[in-house]
Amino acid sequence: MNLNFTLSDQDLAAVRQIVGGEIAYCVPADLSLEGRRLEGYLAIGGGRWAYVQDGQVRDHGDIAEASDYKLMPFVGNAVLEATENETKRIIVRVTMQHAARYGYIAQILNDMAASRPVRIYHDEADPVCAACGRSLVPGTRVCPRCMSKAAAFKRLLLVSRSHWRSLMLGLGVLIAASALALAGPYFQKLLVNAALVPPAGQEASVRVFILALAGMLFTLAFGELLGIARNRIMASVSSGIAADLRKTVFDRIQSMSLGFLTSQRAGDLMNRVTADTDRIRHLIQEMCTTAIYQLIILIASATLLFSADWRLALIVLLPAPFVAYLHYYIWRHVLHKLFHKQWRISDKANSFLHDVLSGIRVVKAFGQEEREIRRFREYNGEFAAAAIKSEKLYSILSPISNYLIQIGQYLVLMIGCYMIIGREMNVGELIQFSAYAAMIFGPISWLMFMPRWIANAVISMHRVFSVIDEQPEVIDAKDAVGHRIRGSIEFSGVFFGYRSYEPVLKEINLTVKPGEMIGLVGHSGSGKSTTINLISRFYDVNEGEIRIDGIDIRMIRQEDLRSQIGVVLQETFLFSGTIAENIQYSKPGAKPEEVIEAAKIANAHDFIINLPDGYDTRLEENGNNLSGGERQRIAIARAVLNDPRILILDEATASLDIETEAAIQEALKRVTKNRTTIAIAHRLSTLRNADRLVVLDKGRIAEIGTHRELMEKRGIYYKLIAAQRSMSRKSGSSAVVSPQV
Amino acid sequence: MRMEEHRGMELADAAGIRYLTPGNSEFMETSGRMLSVRTGGEMHSPVYVHCSFPHTNQRSFLSIRTAGNKEIGMIRHLDDFPQGTASLIERQMKIRYFTPEITKVIAVSEEFGYSYWEVATTAGLCRFTVRNGSGNVKFAAENRLLITDVDGNRFVIPQVDQLSDKEYRMIEMRM
Repeated sequence: MNLNFTLSDQDLAAVRQIVGGEIAYCVPADLSLEGRRLEGYLAIGGGRWAYVQDGQVRDHGDIAEASDYKLMPFVGNAVLEATENETKRIIVRVTMQHAARYGYIAQILNDMAASRPVRIYHDEADPVCAACGRSLVPGTRVCPRCMSKAAAFKRLLLVSRSHWRSLMLGLGVLIAASALALAGPYFQKLLVNAALVPPAGQEASVRVFILALAGMLFTLAFGELLGIARNRIMASVSSGIAADLRKTVFDRIQSMSLGFLTSQRAGDLMNRVTADTDRIRHLIQEMCTTAIYQLIILIASATLLFSADWRLALIVLLPAPFVAYLHYYIWRHVLHKLFHKQWRISDKANSFLHDVLSGIRVVKAFGQEEREIRRFREYNGEFAAAAIKSEKLYSILSPISNYLIQIGQYLVLMIGCYMIIGREMNVGELIQFSAYAAMIFGPISWLMFMPRWIANAVISMHRVFSVIDEQPEVIDAKDAVGHRIRGSIEFSGVFFGYRSYEPVLKEINLTVKPGEMIGLVGHSGSGKSTTINLISRFYDVNEGEIRIDGIDIRMIRQEDLRSQIGVVLQETFLFSGTIAENIQYSKPGAKPEEVIEAAKIANAHDFIINLPDGYDTRLEENGNNLSGGERQRIAIARAVLNDPRILILDEATASLDIETEAAIQEALKRVTKNRTTIAIAHRLSTLRNADRLVVLDKGRIAEIGTHRELMEKRGIYYKLIAAQRSMSRKSGSSAVVSPQV
Repeated sequence: MRMEEHRGMELADAAGIRYLTPGNSEFMETSGRMLSVRTGGEMHSPVYVHCSFPHTNQRSFLSIRTAGNKEIGMIRHLDDFPQGTASLIERQMKIRYFTPEITKVIAVSEEFGYSYWEVATTAGLCRFTVRNGSGNVKFAAENRLLITDVDGNRFVIPQVDQLSDKEYRMIEMRM
């Protein structure tokens, strides 16, 4: 991210007077408090900051005089605040375009104010196009304005390389088909001239007549056959290429770090795998069938027209582009808009319908049926009105635009007849000529629409390639080793933030012995989940090291590492399939007795065996046919089946009622024996079996010790326990926090 | 009718909303150009002004909150306060909700799934990029069109029916 913009000479001179020689950081501050956009900058250097605008320093200060610099994100803008003389003040105001920069700047100012080294770890890419300076859409790397269509097509060709044989075959068939199509009018001319209206002085020839008829039949029949062959070949080629792309994209997505994946919406990624690759398939198919075919026809028929009679050809061709453009214009600017509007209204009505029908219980419960009927009547009427309007216009405009396309034909016929009367042309030639003239309009009007769908396909290509090009952030080191984990975990001097300007964990030092159970405790947002994400190496630390059995986890193969860590999350996710398959997920090919053993340990065996289908019970979408506690126990069975040396429990029992939790607690007690366990729980009673508790506060370790030690210390943990006790007393359920935690 | 009134009272009691009035509170601007309020014998500085209805009614039901997002109290209507205080609060509210009004649509073009806007606004001339779909151009209220650009900046066309035909045609397809 660019944190050092270049100032104009005037601004620079003004700033230098305040901050001295060197400007360390300089970022735009482009919004006044009155709400005007302007070209201001915040410059930092020499322990001072200055806000400069139009060559004048409007505000400045000593960085060390204030503290607690903070970016306050508001609605549609953000403000950099600081505490000065014990009161808060606004330093600068910015639009959202530069808000992310100020996250860094606030961090930098805080570090400078406290005379700490400035901690900025990885520079996130600046979301501005390097070529044109426009802002890029978050998550994309290519500017839609500057992306080159040629480059995208080149990539596509490279991907298609493995299919070049069938591609060439398809092209051959395509060329043959267009040659046949062009031969049709020639036979028509033969037919007319030889048999129907022979030129003066010639007899009608039956032989030529039959030949011409046969030729026409042949071109027709064989042309259709070639068309079938062409479509079949191209369908298989384009599907093959799309399948390759889909596979590549899916492979890529699987190898991405969790950081990238969570920054993308699942639906968006799904679109890239399915919709975008399908659009590319469609493009290849269209390009190799229609596009090339149309081009060949266009060029060939134009050549033939000119060689037949260049004056007539001009008459046909000159108005053609205008007519085609008009056709295009009517479609794009009138009809398309009308249908778009109609579609929008229908969309609105549909979503209303979906809403009301899926919420019918609520409608009935509040007795609002009359109102909904009224509303539906309104939408329905609106939709009907829009449909009538667009159909009316379409019924007029569509014939007109089609007629325009054929007006050239009319001209040809008119002039052709005139020429026949003047004996400059015969009937056969006119028929052949007008057949070629008819052929030429198709490709021209098609060409008008081409840029739009090519553009759409290019977006898809870029979206697909941008995933393929994405580099995984967490990668195996070259000399990474396989390691059989024994179970000691050591954090030393770990700093980490999802965005480097917001460290979530600060200076974490912790040693966990093999087989020990650690309970992580703290307010939400204190960094508990982040800590366990780091153990699984879903992210790499910014500073410091995490070692397992003394080996830096960056030196252990990721697959090896994660397969030996069992994870149970609060939100269990079960795949569709049987219970046995779900338990086997952590160890494909596990024997039935292993599955049952794992279920037994997880206290799941008893309820599974009581199901009519036992372990063969098919789970519906995410196991919706099981209760929360049952799903959770299956998840625990899945985690332990692989006999992991390290077990991570992230709020594994938080969403369960007390009784179910007790059953699962019992299961966990067995599971965690002899395994290094890191458990997070809001309900502190869940951690009663923990050997030690680690209290995190704002990303730092605040307290470590046994329950007893921490209670005696009367610190954060004590307060948490006290708060939960008073909560449970209020709600009347005394079991939430048992006194002997 | 009476029963409804009665129920309304119970709702208010249960909600326990504390309303700030000129009688029970005093608003001031801090030296750092922020807002502070003294109420119930306590001084809160800084406080932020949140709008309950930022699109349909900006002058009523304003929530005064601390940086820790604790509600100090609500203002029923800005007009309850003297002119000076009301404009002070309104200015702070405007800082929080920055949504320039589009006064003139100059050009809108579309390319590759994004539309590029050039508009005159109350904050000056603005050029911005909007991603197609996903609700970036939507009606925030009847006749009031809210546009969110790729960075998260917001723009509003306060009265869509007041646009000229030419302007309307430009934005029509983006809605």
